[in-house]
Amino acid sequence: MAGWTFKWLFWIALYLVPVVLLPWAMAHSWNQQHGAAARFSPRDLLKRGELGLLSLVLASSVIWDLLQSQFTPHTRALGAILLAVGGVMAVNVWVETYCRQHSGTDWHPERAWRDSRNMALLVFSMAAVMQILLDRFTKVVAQ
Amino acid sequence: MSSPAPALAKAQPERRIVVVRLADSAEAVAVLSALFALLLIAFPVSFPRLIVNGWQHGQLIPVMMAVTLLLDGCLYFRVAHLLSAKPGPVAAACLGSLPLLVVGGLSLLLQSAVHHTISLDLPNLQSRIGEEILAHTYLGLVAAIFLPFLVIRLLQQAKGKGL
Repeated sequence: MAGWTFKWLFWIALYLVPVVLLPWAMAHSWNQQHGAAARFSPRDLLKRGELGLLSLVLASSVIWDLLQSQFTPHTRALGAILLAVGGVMAVNVWVETYCRQHSGTDWHPERAWRDSRNMALLVFSMAAVMQILLDRFTKVVAQ
Repeated sequence: MSSPAPALAKAQPERRIVVVRLADSAEAVAVLSALFALLLIAFPVSFPRLIVNGWQHGQLIPVMMAVTLLLDGCLYFRVAHLLSAKPGPVAAACLGSLPLLVVGGLSLLLQSAVHHTISLDLPNLQSRIGEEILAHTYLGLVAAIFLPFLVIRLLQQAKGKGL
């Protein structure tokens, strides 16, 4: 149980620290250096759907782990396809938001933030379950 | 009884058809995944055994079909209610058929995976098959919830949101 707790903490840290806390801390530091009064929340920094990029990277790393596993080719293919679809649709939010913003068409920051946040949650939760399943399967194979 | 006056009928504002966003189904899949993960961590033996027993007795696939159909329907009507929009016929047809088709198709894939595992004659075969069933159950649930909404979204984009 302690091992699982550590893994969960690691996963949450992997998600929160480089993506949410680090940009926020860097923006805070920039404000301090330049004496700017502006305050940025993580939501302000990621409102254009940048979480989609992280989702694709996360999905790619889990797909790599899945393809290295000893699951049957059927399971590996199914898991890889679903993770890839999730990652691609998450990054699509960022691309669509960028295109809308730069082409001057209808752009809603609220919607972009909500979409990218939910898609990132989808990929993150799928990645977490896949890692649990991979860990279980590795233990079964090692027995 | 007389029929409603045409002028009155025209005066009522026409409700637009629901425009589905993937974020709606993504949220549901994320909650389902978190629940699945918590059950796996809290009951590492009994929860997988429940799923494997369900598959061996032929109950798993019908239950998955019912659960995904119900979840997809509830999700779609929730979005329609929040947007004050009316459900579209093509989207309803997709949501009525795709979860069943996806779960049915993936159950065939699971059977194929199990046959493949048996044919390899590996040690600890029963546990390996159990883990395969567990993985396919999770992936089947995710696919049956997420893919119908993805199809509807792509169709809506292709047909100018006229679904």
